[in-house]
Amino acid sequence: MREIAGSDGRILSREECQELLRRAHALAEGGGETQIHVTSWWHGELRWGCNRVTLVTDRRNVGLVLARAVRNGVYGSVSLNQLDDRSLEAAVRAAEWQSRRRVLALRGWGYFPPFPHYDPFANAAIWSDATFGATAEARAEVARRMISRAKTAGMLSAGYLEVRAATTMAFGTEFPELRTGEHAFWEQPYVRWTQAQGSMTVRNAAGTGSGWAGLSSYDWLQIERACDELAERAVQKCIASQDPVALEPGRYTVILEPQAVADLMDVLVRSFFRELIESQGTASPWHLGFDEALRLWRTKLGMKVVDERVTIGHDPADPRLGIVMHPLEWPGPVTWIERGVLKSLGHGFRYAMEHLPGRHALRTGEISYSMAGGDVSIDEMIRTTRRGLLVSRFWNVQLLDGESLLSTGYTRDGLWLIENGQITKAVKNLRFTESPLFVLNNLEALGEAVPVFRPTRREGGYPTPAVVPAIKARDFSFTSPIDAI
Amino acid sequence: MRISRRDLLKAGMGAAALAALPRPLRAGLGELGPALPPLVQSAEVKELALRAVEAARSAGAAYADVRLTRTRSRGRRGMADSERLTVGVRALVDGYWGFASSRVWSPDEMARLGRSAVENARAATLVGPAPAVGLAPAPVARDEHWTMPIEINPFAISPFEIEDYFFSLSAFVQRFRDFDVGFGDVDFTVQDRAFASSEGSYVTQRVYRSGAPLVVRYKDRLARTLDVVDRAGMGFEVYKGQPIREHVRRVMEELEEDAKLPVKPVEVGRYEVVFDARSIATLVAATLGQATQLDRALGYEANASGTSYFNDPLAMLGQFDFGTPLLTLTANRTERGGLATVAWDDEGVPSDEFVLIREGVLEDFQTTRESATWLAEYYARKGRPVRSHGCAAAPSALEAPMTHTPNLVLSPGPEALDFDAAVAGMKRGLAVRELAVRTDFQDLSATGAGMIVYEVKDGKRVALVAGAGFLLRTVDLWKNLVALGGPESCRRFARVSTKGEPAQATYHSVTAPVAVFKDVTIIDPKRKA
Repeated sequence: MREIAGSDGRILSREECQELLRRAHALAEGGGETQIHVTSWWHGELRWGCNRVTLVTDRRNVGLVLARAVRNGVYGSVSLNQLDDRSLEAAVRAAEWQSRRRVLALRGWGYFPPFPHYDPFANAAIWSDATFGATAEARAEVARRMISRAKTAGMLSAGYLEVRAATTMAFGTEFPELRTGEHAFWEQPYVRWTQAQGSMTVRNAAGTGSGWAGLSSYDWLQIERACDELAERAVQKCIASQDPVALEPGRYTVILEPQAVADLMDVLVRSFFRELIESQGTASPWHLGFDEALRLWRTKLGMKVVDERVTIGHDPADPRLGIVMHPLEWPGPVTWIERGVLKSLGHGFRYAMEHLPGRHALRTGEISYSMAGGDVSIDEMIRTTRRGLLVSRFWNVQLLDGESLLSTGYTRDGLWLIENGQITKAVKNLRFTESPLFVLNNLEALGEAVPVFRPTRREGGYPTPAVVPAIKARDFSFTSPIDAI
Repeated sequence: MRISRRDLLKAGMGAAALAALPRPLRAGLGELGPALPPLVQSAEVKELALRAVEAARSAGAAYADVRLTRTRSRGRRGMADSERLTVGVRALVDGYWGFASSRVWSPDEMARLGRSAVENARAATLVGPAPAVGLAPAPVARDEHWTMPIEINPFAISPFEIEDYFFSLSAFVQRFRDFDVGFGDVDFTVQDRAFASSEGSYVTQRVYRSGAPLVVRYKDRLARTLDVVDRAGMGFEVYKGQPIREHVRRVMEELEEDAKLPVKPVEVGRYEVVFDARSIATLVAATLGQATQLDRALGYEANASGTSYFNDPLAMLGQFDFGTPLLTLTANRTERGGLATVAWDDEGVPSDEFVLIREGVLEDFQTTRESATWLAEYYARKGRPVRSHGCAAAPSALEAPMTHTPNLVLSPGPEALDFDAAVAGMKRGLAVRELAVRTDFQDLSATGAGMIVYEVKDGKRVALVAGAGFLLRTVDLWKNLVALGGPESCRRFARVSTKGEPAQATYHSVTAPVAVFKDVTIIDPKRKA
């Protein structure tokens, strides 16, 4: 496996990263420490619009952040994407020039005692040779199948296929006395990962109907296998969503397909992370107030916060979930909410050191999660609904209030009215104003949890897989109709 | 593997270079002193560019172009120096576009990228035969160079000077009780670009980008963004070229006045509303700027950010009428200080100025060489030549160019009308500063909120309205345009154009006057159904 990484120069190998630090430190002047944070990525992409492939790409880059702290200086850093000796030397000099400008005035990392070391989770399914080896021809073949399905239906399709691989590593020369394992506590061991995704929007020629389907996985074969089904789903949604009628906004029972659930739950899952618990006083649904005696922010840990059928967590051993890579991250599974009770909150190591001795091991990283499902199929949910709406996905979800997690956004690519257990008509899209916490407290039924589509936020960024069920909930608040299709 | 001190010492000065990576040109990080001649003007870079084009041509491309960019940026504290070299080759084969890009500027890499772009395009032929791609003619420019005119090169002065400037401005504001100032995400960026095409063009240019919005805060309660400073296609003169402290003082005095007003909860309903220039620039970019990108209108962005309410461009050109003769929107990549200003776009097309909407009627779209040909029928009808408006752009050579919004200018009204005069002339309504909006995926409607919303009665601001939200329908909004401010009320602001998969973002400037609208729907955004 290791031979593949870096063998053709698409991404850097562990040895290449280590060599970079050696070379940079060898160029250092003025003593002190050298740190590097190096990422590399490769993207193979294919886009199409109006049933015509518009672009097939192969792109790659490296990002190197090089930091130097000369003796008695602060850290100065520069970033670059050139790795030759002269560029490295220029970068080292520039970082040292910055470092010398001020004496050390801030408390350094060394203030903190050593941390227990966790080996990164060994068996996370985050790398797929099939993804790294997927050719432009393989993407074109998948595109051909998806486009031809749309053409057969007489529809226009636009879509995107992507395979990517990336590596990251952060390490330095300082504080060998603080190293409790292979890496110092702030360091990032070499990790490489792959991700693949496919998505497709189908519209009719008149622009009065639109359907979408998409899927992400670390493994391109999953996308290849699913592509016909994705195309079929997008086409069927487009056909079924044509010529929608306007519906009065108001409170409706909703059946949210898994993609809509994931779109809505992002603000909730983000709220578990350290940004909120650490920035004391900022709005968080999990704060209760400051305890003067314990010098702690009291939280709702241990309290029942949502319906008892709700369990949200992350298990890196789940091949659909992936990624844990930081030595400070507890490598085993983490449960945020278990049977409706708030079980864990993430936090950074600084907060842990000051407030939670011995309890620093929670996730601080990117969003990746699974939500436990139930056994009710979407068909069954529809059959048991007297009047309600079936939602395909949400778009542009925006947090309005950090304390209640009240959010707003739009439905997109398929919204249907259910009357007396049957889908009766396609409905024009609606703007909603609702909180995911409210939804999880008004649950009627849960479907099977399945992996959903997760977009690539930026090249080289971590994947953020999610596995969520379809949800049926009461009294979901839709606040205004929109004409967009 | 563990790296010990000993390992590092052993590695010593003679550490071997990474064997797999070819030697690129020298990075220029940390260079100070007089401005360097643009790197891209060197003969070496031209040779690299021509080699990439040649490689793509000999691999079978009907058309190919290459871009090389060097991007340097520096933060306000001189602590965020960065430099990136990138190169991207685009090739057209049998009606399909292929693209390959990387960070390595070497002859071998140019040849590889040229071949790779062709291979990628050829892979697309598996999907089936494609209709021929037409490219609107563009003049061939040979060995021309352009440098964006600026007054103070932020890379030629000491970072201390930049740091001192912000430190002293901050100290100036903090001398006044209860006031603070925020400088936003200030960055100074210079990008050198080289472009070569198989049609024989070779051009190089250097463009700058400086600044960020400057926010004055009062008692953690009220905040105002200066409307004379924003990110722009300028150097350090974006700050130093004007009496910033006077502007800041004026805003501080206005904030003190505002703070004396009583605060009222929002009452939903329909109001006549005065928007400041920043709000109008936001509305122009969100409701007109995206919608007039031709690729978006035709559905090429349907799987990403969405489509446009101009869903039938050929039928709507010359026909679609917003119903107000006040609305005239022009686009350009030529104005001095504009963020999208260039001499040639990312396809080598000379920069252009053109009318998108004239007196309320849709007249044109933002186009590239390929997409301009999709409007050939309309241009023929109008007796106009088929040519690209030069809207191809990308953040760097790492990304393939696509249609990005150029600088936009909303024509001001004929009379001298500014924010205060518009408020003074209003009997009953609202006045809004710094509207922020989010549009739906067809730009048909938007929801928004203002930073400061005043209740106006008989020409006077009588209260601040807390928590007011705006529910806007694009077509109704512009139809209800009552008055536009005069030329002296126009200000220029920075906006970001985000599109594509994965999303790529470029900057452009939007210039707009203040404006008055009737029948604007005000909502309470946090109220559920």
